[in-house]
Amino acid sequence: MNEGLKEKLEKAFPHAAITSMRDTDYVVTADKESVLSLLAYVKDAGFDHLTLISCVDWIDEGEFELVYILSPYMKDNEQISGNEKINLILKTRIARGNPAFQTVTHIFENAEPYERELHELFGVHFEGHKRLIPLFLERAYDIPPFRKDFDTRRYVKEVFDNIPAIQDIKA
Amino acid sequence: MRELELYFGPQHLGMVGNFSITLKAEGDRVLKATANPGYLHRGFEKLMEYRTWIQNFPLVCRINVVEPDHVEMAYAMAVEKLAGIEVPERAQYVRSIYLELARVGSHLFGLWAYANMLGFDTVAQWAMYHRDLVLDLFEELTGGRVYHIYIWPGGVRRDFPKGFKDKIVTTLHSIGGCVPDYDAAFFNNAIFHKRASGIGKIDQRRARELGATGQVLRATGMKYDVRKVAPYAAYDKVEWNVPVRSDGDAYSRIWVVRDEMIESVHMIFKLLDCMPEGEVFNKPPNPFKWKIPRGEAYARCESSRGEFGAYVVSNGEDKPYRVHFRTPSYPHGLIILEKLLENANIADVGNTMISLYVVAPEIDR
Amino acid sequence: MDRNKIGKWLKQPAKMANKYSLNAVYFCTGCGIIEIPPVITARWDAERFGIIPVATPRQGNLFMITGYVSLKTLRAIIRTYEQMPDPKYTVGFGSCPINGGMYWDSYNTIKHLDRYIPVDGWIAGCMPRPEAVFIGVTHLWTLIEKDMANGYLRYREHYDQYRGNQEKLLGKLDWPPLYATGIAQKEIAA
Repeated sequence: MNEGLKEKLEKAFPHAAITSMRDTDYVVTADKESVLSLLAYVKDAGFDHLTLISCVDWIDEGEFELVYILSPYMKDNEQISGNEKINLILKTRIARGNPAFQTVTHIFENAEPYERELHELFGVHFEGHKRLIPLFLERAYDIPPFRKDFDTRRYVKEVFDNIPAIQDIKA
Repeated sequence: MRELELYFGPQHLGMVGNFSITLKAEGDRVLKATANPGYLHRGFEKLMEYRTWIQNFPLVCRINVVEPDHVEMAYAMAVEKLAGIEVPERAQYVRSIYLELARVGSHLFGLWAYANMLGFDTVAQWAMYHRDLVLDLFEELTGGRVYHIYIWPGGVRRDFPKGFKDKIVTTLHSIGGCVPDYDAAFFNNAIFHKRASGIGKIDQRRARELGATGQVLRATGMKYDVRKVAPYAAYDKVEWNVPVRSDGDAYSRIWVVRDEMIESVHMIFKLLDCMPEGEVFNKPPNPFKWKIPRGEAYARCESSRGEFGAYVVSNGEDKPYRVHFRTPSYPHGLIILEKLLENANIADVGNTMISLYVVAPEIDR
Repeated sequence: MDRNKIGKWLKQPAKMANKYSLNAVYFCTGCGIIEIPPVITARWDAERFGIIPVATPRQGNLFMITGYVSLKTLRAIIRTYEQMPDPKYTVGFGSCPINGGMYWDSYNTIKHLDRYIPVDGWIAGCMPRPEAVFIGVTHLWTLIEKDMANGYLRYREHYDQYRGNQEKLLGKLDWPPLYATGIAQKEIAA
């Protein structure tokens, strides 16, 4: 990629740490206040395709890590500029105790179901999201199931193994 | 007129896969559509945290039933990136050929679904029969008809058996020989043209905003294909074109699919011609003790529906710490479908959905 | 059909009719559905065995549970099953409905399908091949002939237990019981 973007990012966001892991993956670690402006900035800089929003539960550190992965669409319908192969991985950490973050749906419209999913599976609340209703799950779980302290094997033992087989009771 | 609430699916003939849409309709006009996924949610990414790196391969291929191979590829590429494994050159070619065969099979399945849905039963029967021929190839190569678990970190599990190249060529020729029939009966059919053109129309600006990839984006004119813009496997070794159309409706999308199938077949022939000899597998260490250093990786490939990505985080353990798949049907089925169905006709709901190529297990995971 | 069996036909016409015209409900419950299109189209041609997919459960008498069953799908499966007219036959397709299969530790899929609805036969494998489907179906014929495919009767008989298990997992169900439950059932029996 253009080294220009890295320099520009460093200049505009002095608190963001930028490392290039491999030649196609750029990792930007930012504090949670600057994420929204960073996202808006990189969107203008050409990374206009939000590929994925993910969340990692770092339980030992008591934090959730929100991960935004972006890549550029082609500027031109025909020509490939070479920037398209770059994945920009933007990470930020939020407290695990009462997890809440700003929604990014006003910047990237396709963030809506991703945030809904994270709300359901990790219990992260996204302020300003218009439709934080359940997406996948049928039952209510005490702990959102994708958190590390939710033990699915114990849960299966408690719930599914307690359903009795049908007894043939012919009197 | 009275407002009605309609449940479209999960048990519905116009629905391919276990998916449901709630429609608010007035007369036969849809006012609002709400996608309602989750019927196939198994919590794959949670289950993967409990299994070792290699044990996860039988799991990941179940994420997309129609073409499990691209899921394997995305996960294997991410693991290779994390562990720094090199893939032999012949394996890259074998992978490409294998993935293109999967694409042909998957597109034929999509063609079956679409033709079946619109009532072109003859075409549907042909498409399913031809897909079965491709599955026979897979069966010979990997032992499985549907799930193959062929791609591993470090290459592929085994080389082509003896005489397999000729079988690929014969099968693809026999499928390719039927393209004029398909064209006459389906793609150039006036009834089909009237039924599909103008349905589910989306322009390029809107498609980009909503995160479209794959045919949905290529049908609006952009030559965006991960195989081209970020080449993996052996896709940069041969010449090939990205087929595009410009209208952005269901008719364009199905034509892009058709052209892509033909392009894939040509690509397979070219790859077979210039395939080098050599090893196909750099054996990774003992899978029970294999620990991958701390780090994270995102790898993506072009599945037959769009961009497929795998985000993998390692904690330095023998199991992944977190895996998250980016599936193409996710934005297509959850946002674009909802937007396209606004003000559509109820009779076009299934038409729109299948033309977007939504596969439900991919959304739910 | 075998002409030598004409005597059998005359003895039990309804049973023979049920046996040779299995109308499968078109419901893609899980990933096993990927093998159903090949089965019903030209190459494998399930119509040789009298199987044809139908649009609504009200016309069907064969319910193939194709693959794993998540909680949300279980609700739909129960509703679909209860809408089908008697006699109806259920076949679990694939390893997952039998005991959870590879999803044995998943928090969102049920492990034993026969604890929620009665199942007449199983086809094991992931995926079962089309041939396995036909073997399963011919076994079902034998079961029907010997009156052993009696899931719908078991459902009526043990409806208390089935409904109890369903409600234990899914919470209060928002549709009325299909059959009288509890004390009412015993009174009818008496």
